[in-house]
This record gives sequence, structure tokens and C-alpha cells, in this order.
Amino acid sequence: MPRHPDVVLPLLFGAAMAFLAGGQGAVAGPAHDHGHGSPPAQSARPPGFDYDPPEPGSYRLPPLGEAADGEALDETGAERRLHGLMAGRIAVLSFIYTRCTDICPLGTALMRDLHEAAAADPALTPILRLITMSFDPDHDTPEVMALQAQSLRTGDEADWSFLTARDKGSLGEILAAYGQRVLANPAPDDTGGPLAHQLRVYLIDRSGKIRNIYSLDFLDPRLVLADIRTLALKESAGQ
Amino acid sequence: MDSSIRSLADLIRRRMAGAGRLATTVIPAGVLLAAASVLSPVPVRADETCMSPFMPKITGQEDYVYVWTLGVEGLGDGFDKLVTVDVRPGSPTYGQVISSVSVGGRNEAHHGGFTDDRRYFWASGLDTSRIFIFDIHTDPGKPRLERTIDDFVQATGGVVGPHGAYALPGRMLMSGLSNVKDEGGRTALVEYTNDGKFLATHWMPTAEDPRGAQIEQVADGYGYDQRVLPRKNVMLTSSFTGKANYMMDFGKLVQDPEAMKRFGQTVVLWNFHERQPRKVFHVPGAPLEIRWAWGPDHNYAFTTTALTSKIWLIHEDAGGEWHADPVADIGNPADIPLPVDISLSADDKTLFVDTFMDGKVRVFDVADPHAPKQIHEQKIGAQVNMVSQSWDGKRVYFTTSLLANWDKKGADDEQFIKGYDWDGRELHHRFTIDFKERQLGRAHIMRLGADSLYTN
Repeated sequence: MPRHPDVVLPLLFGAAMAFLAGGQGAVAGPAHDHGHGSPPAQSARPPGFDYDPPEPGSYRLPPLGEAADGEALDETGAERRLHGLMAGRIAVLSFIYTRCTDICPLGTALMRDLHEAAAADPALTPILRLITMSFDPDHDTPEVMALQAQSLRTGDEADWSFLTARDKGSLGEILAAYGQRVLANPAPDDTGGPLAHQLRVYLIDRSGKIRNIYSLDFLDPRLVLADIRTLALKESAGQ
Repeated sequence: MDSSIRSLADLIRRRMAGAGRLATTVIPAGVLLAAASVLSPVPVRADETCMSPFMPKITGQEDYVYVWTLGVEGLGDGFDKLVTVDVRPGSPTYGQVISSVSVGGRNEAHHGGFTDDRRYFWASGLDTSRIFIFDIHTDPGKPRLERTIDDFVQATGGVVGPHGAYALPGRMLMSGLSNVKDEGGRTALVEYTNDGKFLATHWMPTAEDPRGAQIEQVADGYGYDQRVLPRKNVMLTSSFTGKANYMMDFGKLVQDPEAMKRFGQTVVLWNFHERQPRKVFHVPGAPLEIRWAWGPDHNYAFTTTALTSKIWLIHEDAGGEWHADPVADIGNPADIPLPVDISLSADDKTLFVDTFMDGKVRVFDVADPHAPKQIHEQKIGAQVNMVSQSWDGKRVYFTTSLLANWDKKGADDEQFIKGYDWDGRELHHRFTIDFKERQLGRAHIMRLGADSLYTN
């Protein structure tokens, strides 16, 4: 009796299928081809996303709830509070683990595109904070996250924090608060990595409210940037 | 064609003949709608290949089928309930009910869906506008009712009849069927967070308030199904009818010419991220279920019209323009077979279409989506509504109920779930559970479950 039916987290479909068909990451393309300081080609359509991005400010992003606080370690090993990092900025928070070889790299590619866009746009640089947090503290030590930061940051102009958890207890509280599911991969031979998880990226406004959640099918940097600019416009208008 | 079908078909033809006197430009829409009212059943989008793409998938053997079931007075406890069926091959309880959790009332149980993390199942009642949220993950073989949303009408600003529950990242997108003002078909899409916090109401475009949408012929403002294709940033919605009709006795409805005019005739294309209606297609005859193709370059979706018995293709041309075209008949439309639920295989090649009146499933080869070809036909029962297939396409499940007041009467009011194997050419029966004999009720929407979705 097959007690463990095959299950697949939503990496197979939508953008992932387009990713496979196109041979590139969902957020790859021109944005990855330019060096530090060059703005991503926002008018270009990344493989897997065949539409023009929405006009910032032309739609609403109703608050989904409070972004939870929690204790983490930064890449130097120093203790940091999530709320402390988020305070006063629009934040994009992505949960990943570095041993993942299937969907986490797509989330990280999105963050790198946002990082490049923030570095190239003086209006974004001071208001945006990117946070990548690992849910694999046994492997992803502060030293490992420092290596991630070193390989991904393209300069100091734009802010991008790399975090991990002190222990599984503090991690569990954060993951539960954000609804980020992480399970042991039921397929031990899966080359994707030892953990099974949904990819979720959170957009958080300056007052600490979650304003959007992106799964794999929505990892279009043009879309996330439109949302960030929408929040900035609404905040400047006092809405 | 049995006598009941023949009489309905005759009635519809008479209605259409009468409507034809109004204006030729209105005939296809208004008439077919009127006809549709006779039959349009309320199918459910219900299978592994038809769920929101934003959630984990069971790509192998499923363990359970969850059946959202309408209570019947005098049958068991008489309440709506979520019934769990064991479909684990080799299990000593294979093909049997292993759990049933009642909600303590009758609400016109209808559609439902999982949240994007697949931990909770949202099931709605069309009559009471209540939404029941079941915890699936704690014990997938024995779901439990966790909470109920009782203020849907007030919170949404007057939307009535929560229908499909479609998972988005961290939130649920619900379609309404009606409104509190006149209980007609004008309605809205509604968004909630996964934990049940109301977020927003998006009213369907109408001729009076098109909200920027291009209107082909009419904009009725009706709703039914809602499906998103994120890589194109588009969403489709379809249209059924309002509470005054879906709660009316079927025999009375058929005899009410005004009521029979009040059926949906539109499919709306939206810019999804902006929740902005973009184009209102004229699709007469109550277009119900919508299924986007899965292929990464398949920019099309299918729907079927209950009253006109056609498969429609909504597709994008090489220039980026979207169109809606009828591409095939389902059975003999003159017989009004009433296509209800549909199920598209994961490889986009096979479309299962249930027809309520003759109790049949028809299987179409849709490899060329512009020219579907029927490849199989089989009677499932006296009536059939829902069809759900596994992701691998090897197993297919059927249930029976449309609406409490629209199901057939007497001996033809069969209520069951049946499980089959599909070999690519024929269905092979595996099990039947009689929901009347088991004192359960009217079997409606199905969703598949697996222990391994939640095992750490």
C-alpha cells in the first residue's frame, strides 16, 4: 500500500514550467546581464512573465496582517530583531536555505534583481530593505550566510541583510508566524535538497504590515518593484 | 432521450422561440440564458488538475477524497458535512467512508477549496452565505471544523452566495453568486486572508459601471468561477445565476419565464494584479467552470455553457488579443444534456465533461484546443455533476448533486461517489458509495488529500 504518495510543492507549475521551458530562471534575463550599478531592464519581459507590469499606484495593496517580530543572527553572528531591521523602511523578506537547488535560487534571483534596482534608483535606495533569512540553521550558519552575502551583494549602496536562526526553537516561532511551511523532504533522493517547502516572499510596509505575498508564480521583479513603488506613492500621499 | 429531458428541451425551444421576437441581436444571449435557467447545474471545480496552481500537488496516488455534502432533512443528522473517503489501494477501508464531520445545519453546501498551503479546506454555503474552514493537516484522515465565517454578507458590502474558494499566496479569492439587494446575479469577487480576515470586494463589471472594460455585447455583472494565469497577469471569471434562481424549486423555475432570463452570458478577462476588468466576452448559455491549460506556452482556457451545451475556448492570438470562441458541441445541444463540471488532464490533451441530465461523462481529445473530438462516452448514473481526476490522469471520481432543489426526484435522485480507473480509452469501475444508504446526503464537491503533504 503506497503510504507516501508523491507530492510536489508548487515548484512544478506556472513559472517553474516556463523556467524549464525557457532554460532560464523566472527572474533571469537582461537583469542578470548587467554589472553593478546598471539598472535592471524593467521594460524587458523576463522569461516566464509575458505581460507589461502594472502602473505603480494604479491599484490597492490591502494590509494582510502584522509582520511578526523574531530573533535572528546576522552574517556577523550578531543578534538582530526582525522589527528592528524593518523599522522605517519598506522591506522584502525571503525565506530560503542555501542547500536548495530548485526553487530557492529563484527567490534569491528575485532579491538580487531588487537589490540592483534599489542600487540604481536613488528614490528606492534609502527606503528599501531586503532581508534573506535561512530556515536551515544547522547548515546555514552566519559564516555560510556571509558567503552568500559576499557572492550576491553588488555594492553597499542598497541594503540587503542575510540572516539565520539561533536555533530551531526561535526559527519555528518565526516560520509559524509567517505561515512559512518547511518539512523534511519525503523523497530522500531528491536532488532539490533535503527540505520541502513553499517559496514565499513577503512585502512589508514601513508600519510593519504585510502588503503582499509572492509565490513562485509571481517572482517577477517588475511586479514586486511596482508594488514597492505603489507603497511608496501611497505613503507619500498619506494613504 | 428520456421524457424528462425531452420536456425540458421542448420548453427551452419554446422559450427561445419567444425570445427571438425581441431583437435579433439579443437572441443568442437572452434566449439561451433563459433556456439555461432550466438546467444549469452548479458543478464544482474539483480535482487535482483543476485546483489553484499555487499549492502543493499530489502527483502520485491520493489517500483520501473529501466530499462536501449537502444535508437532507430526515437523512442521518440532516446537516451539511465534510465526508472523507479512503482511496488508498490495499487499505482495509478502501472505498469506504472513514470520517464525517457535520457543521450543525443546512447551508446549501456547494463549492470549496484548499488554502495555498493545503492545510485548510474552505467550504461555502450558497443559502446562508456561511464559510466553513476545516483543519485538514492535523489529521488528514479525520478533518475537523476549525472556524466559521458568519458575516460574509456584511463584511463584503452585500455579496451573497460565496462559491468557489481559489487559493492565492496567503489569501483566498472567493467568487460570489448573488447580492443582498435583489438576490439576482450581480455579484463580486471577494478576498480573505488565509486566517479568515476580510480584505476586499471587487464587483463584476456591468454596462452601467464597466470599470474600464471593453464590452463585446453585454456586461451582466454575474459570477461563478475565477481562474488566474499569472504568467500572463490575467484572470477569467464566468457567470451563472443569482440566489432567487438557485434556491428556487427546479420545476417552478422552469415555469417562470422571467426567472429563466436571469442567467449569465459573459466571461470576463481581468488584469489580475490590478484586479481590473479588461474585456467582457459574450458567452451565452451560462458559462460555468473555467480551466486554464497547464502548458507553459498554452495561452488558453476552456469553459462549457450549461444551457447551450458547447465547449468554448478563450485564447490569445499571436498579436496578444484575447478571444472567446465556441469550438465543439457536447452531445446534442437540442437535447439539453446540461454540461456541468469539467476536468482537464495535466497534459492538456483530455477533457472530461459531465452532463447532468443524461448522467454521462463525455471525454474529448483536446490536443488541438480549437477542434475537440469526443473519444469516449459512458453513463455514470441517473444524474452526475462533479468529476475529479488525479494528477497522473489514472483515477477519476464522480459525484451527483447540483443543488438541493434542482436534483432529480424519486429514484433518479441518486446520490453517490463513484471511483474509476482511466486507461486512456475507457473507465473501469472501482467502487461506489451510496450517500443515501449511508445517511450522508447529497454528494457535491470533491478534493483529494494525502498524508504525506503534512508528514515531517
